[in-house]
Amino acid sequence: MFKELLRAVKMHRIFIIQELKRMMEYKGDFLTGVIGFLISQVFNILFLSIIFSQIPTLIGWTFEEVLFIYGFSLIPKAIDHMFFDNLWAMGHFLVRKGEFDKYLTRPINPMFHVMAEKFQVDAFGELLVGILLIASALPNLTVEWSFIKVLLVIVAMLFASFIYTGIKIGTSAIAFWTKRSGNITYMFYMVNDFVKYPVDIYNNVVRSVLTYIIPFAFTSYFPALYFLTGENPLFNIGMTALVSVIVMTIGILIWNRGVKVYESAGS
Amino acid sequence: MIYVENLRKEFKKTVKEPGIKGSIKSFFKPQKEIIEVVKDISFEAEEGEILGFIGPNGAGKSTVIKMLTGILTPTSGSCIINGQNPQKNRKQYVKEIGVVFGQRTQLWWDLPLTETYTVLKEIYEVEDSAFKKRMDFLNEVLELEDFIKSPIRTLSLGQRMRADIAASLLHSPKVLFLDEPTIGLDVVVKDNIRRAITKINAEENTTVVLTTHDLEDIELLSKRIVMIDKGSKVFDGKISDLKSKYGQMRELAFVSDNQNVFDILDYQSKFKISDDDLIAEKDGLSHKVRFNSDAVPVGDMLAYTLSKIDVKDINVKDADIEEIIRRLYKEGVSDE
Repeated sequence: MFKELLRAVKMHRIFIIQELKRMMEYKGDFLTGVIGFLISQVFNILFLSIIFSQIPTLIGWTFEEVLFIYGFSLIPKAIDHMFFDNLWAMGHFLVRKGEFDKYLTRPINPMFHVMAEKFQVDAFGELLVGILLIASALPNLTVEWSFIKVLLVIVAMLFASFIYTGIKIGTSAIAFWTKRSGNITYMFYMVNDFVKYPVDIYNNVVRSVLTYIIPFAFTSYFPALYFLTGENPLFNIGMTALVSVIVMTIGILIWNRGVKVYESAGS
Repeated sequence: MIYVENLRKEFKKTVKEPGIKGSIKSFFKPQKEIIEVVKDISFEAEEGEILGFIGPNGAGKSTVIKMLTGILTPTSGSCIINGQNPQKNRKQYVKEIGVVFGQRTQLWWDLPLTETYTVLKEIYEVEDSAFKKRMDFLNEVLELEDFIKSPIRTLSLGQRMRADIAASLLHSPKVLFLDEPTIGLDVVVKDNIRRAITKINAEENTTVVLTTHDLEDIELLSKRIVMIDKGSKVFDGKISDLKSKYGQMRELAFVSDNQNVFDILDYQSKFKISDDDLIAEKDGLSHKVRFNSDAVPVGDMLAYTLSKIDVKDINVKDADIEEIIRRLYKEGVSDE
């Protein structure tokens, strides 16, 4: 088990290096990408500051608290985006064009292979913006600090990123049956915009959906709530971990069943 | 080495009526139809054998290869290769096989070829010293030297195919699956690839399963073939058996200055023979007649032709394997 984990880490490192080399092959494209990305992030931040300058508080949430949750929500998403972005390719073309064949003829776990094969540099931006937002919110927040608390929040962020990964695994695996599932994954991701804000500003239906059905609330609101208030770590952090494990398990189960019905494509 | 028993693969397919109306109808009320792509195929291959796997387009060759390589799960039946079940111990199994799909590449498209090999080395956990030796060997056999530092996207098809074959051999597999490895290649590259396959088979006793449409591949590489058509096995045996069994086709070739030679000869009405049993072709002055020697004895054919026209340089020879298979594809093979 440990040996396998070590090997996975090693392979992932190799794939990342490979991907960086790939990007360097096309320097022009890479530079344009970086510039375009920086511009879009500047506009994002501008846009946010405009919104927040109009809304000083949101049903009891101060501006800084909202900012913190917003920033928090970006980090797990960025982690997943950075390391496991290639799952989108499953729903778009890997299954439909039969390119998934290749992964099945190699002696490493095909799911891991697909997930780890691409490394998404764009995600650094999200990560950066997330950290910047949190950093700018912190000085104006009255939070009790403790080592355990910081540790728990970091652990929660990792589990939260696996909620994204799990949902992507499950929805991209639907392509094994439908050949294309990019839009299904996209649909789930759209729901994710809700959790940039405190979930209790929504009505019961939206809140329940975000908590129990598509549990994105655990990727930001609940762990952030624990950090801000120190309340209820068992639910806010414990459930984040549990939900993450459940989502990941369901995703992997769907994937494993899907691989069995994989039909490849004519050649 | 390879034991395949009653291997079967069915696909469910949604049947659509044509047009947008049909598409909408099928969206709400899909009509499913089961298509049998591979129907209970059995065959075996010994260690070190090169098995030619042939059949017309859509016969199910690729589907069989994909089941043997663990990509597809069979609907029923079993295959045991190198002592393993490809579906059950996939990871363990694929460590000892090599796979090349001629129509696809497993190389990293944007990167120099060497990069692909370094990653594959890690994926297959090849030791450093073994890797170096292996690369030297493959370099020599497949002549990769000229383009090993170029990105894959800049390679010609022939270079890419050699690179792909080398990639599949990096971990010294015991069984090598080649799905149309010579498709679209010129004579020189084909020859290079055939020599490489022969050499690896001879030196390492690698078992090779090869599908191809190029019958020269088969004639030069394998002694035995399995032929499938419409998902069923139609022939399994030595090429020489196939020739003697279905090889009544002969080819009569001659050169003649006469105009409209075939109008004068009019074999069809003379011998009351069907188009399947006699095919006449003309290319400038040279004429070729392929005919079934069971329907028209060779002697009759020769005598009749010579009596009707003036010919130079006439000869009769056995039809090559290609001709036999062309006939088999066309008619299908009847069960005896």
